[in-house]
Amino acid sequence: MLDQPINERRLTIARAMAEAIQQEMQRDPTVFVMGEDIAGFGGIFGNTRGLFEEFGKERVRDTPISETGFISAAVGAAMDGMRPVVELMFVDFFGVCFDAIYNQMAKNTYFAGGNASVPMVLMTSTGGGYSDAGQHSQCLYGTFAHLPGMKVVSPSNAYDAKGLMTAAIRDDNPVVYMFHKRLQGMGWLGTEAGATVNTPEEGYTVEIGKAKVVRAGTDVTLVGLAMGVHNALKAATKLAEDGISAEVIDLVSLVPLDRETVINSVAKTGRLIVVDEDYHSYGVSGEIIATVTEHDISKLKASPARVTFPDVPIPYAKNMEQFCLPNPDKIIAAYRKM
Amino acid sequence: MATEVKVPQDLWQDDDMEAVITNWLASDGATVRKGALIAEIMVEKSQFEVSAPADGVLKISKQTDDIVRKGDVIGQIT
Repeated sequence: MLDQPINERRLTIARAMAEAIQQEMQRDPTVFVMGEDIAGFGGIFGNTRGLFEEFGKERVRDTPISETGFISAAVGAAMDGMRPVVELMFVDFFGVCFDAIYNQMAKNTYFAGGNASVPMVLMTSTGGGYSDAGQHSQCLYGTFAHLPGMKVVSPSNAYDAKGLMTAAIRDDNPVVYMFHKRLQGMGWLGTEAGATVNTPEEGYTVEIGKAKVVRAGTDVTLVGLAMGVHNALKAATKLAEDGISAEVIDLVSLVPLDRETVINSVAKTGRLIVVDEDYHSYGVSGEIIATVTEHDISKLKASPARVTFPDVPIPYAKNMEQFCLPNPDKIIAAYRKM
Repeated sequence: MATEVKVPQDLWQDDDMEAVITNWLASDGATVRKGALIAEIMVEKSQFEVSAPADGVLKISKQTDDIVRKGDVIGQIT
């Protein structure tokens, strides 16, 4: 499992993110934070808690509700020697500022022939399951991973959350840091106990671009990201009751994507199920399946399967949204069909 | 000598309000230090913190997602 038996210092993902930013801000005076309600409020998802009190308003800046303005400002600041950590409060809001993200932030290093870098972290909340409806519940992993020039990560637990944030801030490349709202540890979004794990007090990094086998197994490979990892682990526990050994892979990063870990796992198990809360078509689940099938279909004992969100705007009605979301039972059903 | 871990009386205003334990930041059986942050409790979307009142080994009696009121015992430190 994700947690260690010795656990004197458990943090929620929210606290882990805030701690990583705090420690990097202590280390490096060019790091600063911008976003909506990230200063005195500590971030509506708890990820900038304590920063305003420690570093003040020059380095922890509340912005107006103007993503086009402040995300563009972050790109400019990053190109001018700063290391901004800027929050796009809900990933669903990317529309108004997407040019600044995928055309400026992601491409300016290339257009400058390598003479400029854009060392910024764009942190953004993803995910649904608490009736926040079609414009506040999306994952959009595929949307960001698809476009070249930006790294994309998403932690499933507090240990990875802190290490990935530290790595992202230190990275000279732009990093999109996607955090799932229901894994933050904010009670009003529900609780996922598995995300709160032992987290070292000192600064450390988790490698961007490396997937983790969080549960070893032999009969089927379950691949997930963020909340998908927890769904997969729960499914694996249930499958184990029937003597089925499931291997669970936490992708951790979408860009760079650790295809090798997935390929090696499926070579061992012969069966693949991808869990992805993003929309079904044209995204991460298809990419993982393509990765495996392009490589060597002789290893497959069954067609790969995916448990995803259907290609519909996310419903507000609780029963409709829950009907659509991936969950452990759907993963188990997918295995039974193999 | 066991010390009770209680939801502090001054944690929020309304005496009647119910709260829910959202996160235990120390595990059952873990050694905790006095003053360490050990739990987060939520009242109407606001999060509050509970610290360990003593050094020792924590025994949790109220779990994550349990409803509590001010003054409730949520654990013990021995």
